[in-house]
Amino acid sequence: MSVLAVEGLTKSHGRRPALSGVSLTVDRGEIVALLGPTGAGKTTTLGCIAGLVAPDGGRILMNGRDVTRADPRERDVTMVFEGFNLLPLLSAYDNIAFPLRSPVFRQPAAEVDRRVRKAAADLRIGHLLGRGVDQLSGGERQRVAVARALVREPRLYLLDEPLSALDLKLREALQEELRGLQRDRQASILYATHDFHGAAAVADRIALIAGGRILQAAPLERLIADPAHVGVGRLIGSPAMALFAARAEGGTVALAGGGPRLAPAAARGAAGAVTLGLWPDDIVLAAAPADGLTEGEVYATDFRGMDRAVQVRFGPHAFRKVVPLALDLAQGARCWFALPAAAAFLFDGTTGLRLGTGEQE
Amino acid sequence: MRSRPRSAFLLPAVVLTVYMVYSLGPVLWIALSSIKGRQDLFTLPPRLIFTPDFAGYQAVFGVGAARDSAAAIGLSQALVNSIVVSVAGTLLATVLGTLAGYAASRFRFPGRDDFMFFALSTRMIPPTAVLVFYHVMYSRVGLSDTVGGLVLVTTFINLGLATWIMKGFFDGVPVEVEAIARINGYSRFWAFRRLVLPMVRGGIAATAGFCFIFAWNEYSFASILATTKANTLPVRLSSAMGATGIEWTQIFAAGMVLIVPVVVFFYLIRRHLLMGMTFGVLGKGGT
Repeated sequence: MSVLAVEGLTKSHGRRPALSGVSLTVDRGEIVALLGPTGAGKTTTLGCIAGLVAPDGGRILMNGRDVTRADPRERDVTMVFEGFNLLPLLSAYDNIAFPLRSPVFRQPAAEVDRRVRKAAADLRIGHLLGRGVDQLSGGERQRVAVARALVREPRLYLLDEPLSALDLKLREALQEELRGLQRDRQASILYATHDFHGAAAVADRIALIAGGRILQAAPLERLIADPAHVGVGRLIGSPAMALFAARAEGGTVALAGGGPRLAPAAARGAAGAVTLGLWPDDIVLAAAPADGLTEGEVYATDFRGMDRAVQVRFGPHAFRKVVPLALDLAQGARCWFALPAAAAFLFDGTTGLRLGTGEQE
Repeated sequence: MRSRPRSAFLLPAVVLTVYMVYSLGPVLWIALSSIKGRQDLFTLPPRLIFTPDFAGYQAVFGVGAARDSAAAIGLSQALVNSIVVSVAGTLLATVLGTLAGYAASRFRFPGRDDFMFFALSTRMIPPTAVLVFYHVMYSRVGLSDTVGGLVLVTTFINLGLATWIMKGFFDGVPVEVEAIARINGYSRFWAFRRLVLPMVRGGIAATAGFCFIFAWNEYSFASILATTKANTLPVRLSSAMGATGIEWTQIFAAGMVLIVPVVVFFYLIRRHLLMGMTFGVLGKGGT
């Protein structure tokens, strides 16, 4: 049974819909990343699950029990917020001890002290316990907030961009911490983020959210092999999926503005406006012309240390791809590429839903 | 950077000096006159060096030799009324305004914006426009000329302002404060009382200061609704006639008694003045 099952959650802020039918599950001991752009509805979803926001419709089940209208205290979840997390009038110690002194989760003083020191040691903030909130740096505050989440063993951890304000090193350390938490305690975690790398690093499954709707929820490999929606391509990968506006007609796909014409399997039976998608890794890119390659222009390059990301333009289209440094593509240079039909995905031009599959017959 | 020529400071200095003499002169005059004896009051040019005579203050506070003449004019009773009305009205407006401001800041309820506009409008209404109505209503229900009736009216005129200012301060407290408490096993009320209220202590003090000053200075309502027994000091002062004519010394002393608390309160809440005004009344994102 899932620790959490959300079914068809809807919520509007005034006339503006924030959630239009969010459904997702988190199993025991599972880390699910809720990945989506800013304003997609991540925070509202977490707020509904925590009981801080009353949804307009839909159901929230925890261990099979309907808690849609239950008080936050009864849900036994903990939450780390994106920005403001610490109670300003309390010390770091008292902030971490805060849940264990509440009427609901009260523990004896000795046990409180033991757990606070353990959590602080785990996050390497033992030396900060006596400090006031205003004497802590941003990263230290965030770690105190995570420590407060750790002193309890809640049914579900809700983390709203908990690491986005941290520098890279600290972020990686905390990601490790979350993994350890899952391993040692079978913790169930719902982790909202807009950062693809962060989601990929910690999550067992990624639920993609955009425009208040879950596009697809699956392990990363599945999302890559079998994206259900054009939005999946936009959110997954760095660089993300190369997407081209195109028209399907008679089993072939013609890119808008007279680019190359492809015949992926999915094009059979499709007609009208479509979006053609290819993972950048599947695009063939060369510095010299060859048979079957189309010409383009290197519009921008981005040196990344071990490799280089290039942006290629042709006609009205553009895509980004990572190439080895050995491939000599300077900004403004001409280049040649091929879009293999076998690796291409087709999405409906209006709904964004996937059409057929791009695999070979 | 080139330092400015001396003449650049001359005009502001002159203007400020004139303005200070204009605004502080009368206060100084009142202060000096309040401790002058009758014979020193009307000398021209005014004497700056004289033997202080505190008979006026004794009359206002109802002590010493001047006790009987003070009772005749009723200044000491008016002072007591003023204190009772201002303190009680301030307490009520601050407590109720704090609760209402919290509700307006945190909860969405139908008509919330209309309610907040109404709360503001109570301060924009000229008192004289509704005085007659109050007078009739108060005489019907027997509140005329009672301290309790004045406390009610004082609370009313301050409640809207208190609600607005407190809403502004509560808006400054992140909603996560209650969220953290509620997720971790506390009630919203506990969070309000133990976490949010301590964070807006300064705001509560500023609100109380504002309310007290307005209550203390209130004249229009008191002049119609409390004509004798429940007279407050500002009203009594305007008609302070004794058996021997106008008791100028007592009037000046009472004037000082009126001015001093206002100065003290303004000084205490000076840091919050601008914040209270802008946060509260202009608001972050309006209503």
